[in-house]
Amino acid sequence: MPSPCQWIRSVLAAYLDGELKPSTAKAVRRHLEHCESCRAHARLLRDSWGLLDESPPAPVRAGFTERMMARIVEEKDLNAVASRLRPHRVRQRVVASVLGMAAGLVLGFVAYSWTGLPQEPTSPVERDVSHSVSFIEDVDLLDEIAVIQAIDRLVIPDETGNGA
Amino acid sequence: MAKAAVAVAGSFERQGRRGAAADYDVGLMLAFQKGNELAFQELVERNHGRVTGLIYRFISDASDAEDLGQEVFLRIYRARKTYKPTAKFSTWMFRITANVSLNALRSRANRRDDVSIDQLSDFGDGPRAMPDPDSRMPDVHLHQRELQEKVREAILALPEKQQVAVILNKYEGMSYADIAKTIGCTTMAVKSLLARARDNLKDRLLLYIRTGRGRQRVS
Repeated sequence: MPSPCQWIRSVLAAYLDGELKPSTAKAVRRHLEHCESCRAHARLLRDSWGLLDESPPAPVRAGFTERMMARIVEEKDLNAVASRLRPHRVRQRVVASVLGMAAGLVLGFVAYSWTGLPQEPTSPVERDVSHSVSFIEDVDLLDEIAVIQAIDRLVIPDETGNGA
Repeated sequence: MAKAAVAVAGSFERQGRRGAAADYDVGLMLAFQKGNELAFQELVERNHGRVTGLIYRFISDASDAEDLGQEVFLRIYRARKTYKPTAKFSTWMFRITANVSLNALRSRANRRDDVSIDQLSDFGDGPRAMPDPDSRMPDVHLHQRELQEKVREAILALPEKQQVAVILNKYEGMSYADIAKTIGCTTMAVKSLLARARDNLKDRLLLYIRTGRGRQRVS
């Protein structure tokens, strides 16, 4: 194939699409007038391109916009849910939970210290001290008993007739 | 919705914008960017036919074309905050449409490839196999549906960029310059793409041209 034909064929599509500069289009047109081979080539390109018109357009279905806007509403709902679950909000919730638990522990400890619940002594020294403490408590109890008995003696005369 | 659109267009014209921004759809998009949801609704109403029509050229399934069309408008909806009117609205919209369509085609091809590995005997040479022009003679009166199918196969057998260029040029009537903006290349590259695409289509549809359809005088 002679060189001018190669060049013509490289620009034929653009020529057929009307995308060449007027001067170039004129040169192509002149070449086609006397070159049967390039004319046949151009005809094939045009006819094959024309076959693409056989491809049917998309069938029209009514209500696209309404369905689209409904999908947008769904999108908004999803975004609302997603924004509630965004990482910084989750982090805030975790921090709040940890702080709450810590506050609970501190309060529990304070309450425990304040009420002073008894504990079993573990070491011998602790047992000793504990024993002493219970003895002291017992002494108080004995004192009370002695006082009560003294009062009883004062109030109730005994069988021998002695009394207050 | 019509009232909203008129108001949007009017205010947009008063702003005296030029070039791409003078595009009515750009005005709607900017109004939507400012919070006018009716403007978005009108964008959908005005453009969904072109979008689904274009997708259908790639996909050939009306239901899938609608789903993917919705995907295109969802992307536009999500992009409202970052949108800048640097080109015609249709250029931007068709770029999204072509991307969505090609992604769908790729995932379809992957699914088909997965199947064909296990069921090669059932699927022969695969979904994109073209008829060998020398091995079979078409009927003179080729059924129209078969011809449509051959045309579709011929387009889908093209490399992706050629496919997009052909579909935008043939079915949307877009100029080489607009196609270049849509697919992000030079006008010269589009010229080359379409030259190769038309040669490929000629080779693939040669048998059907010779049935005598659509002959025209070239001068």
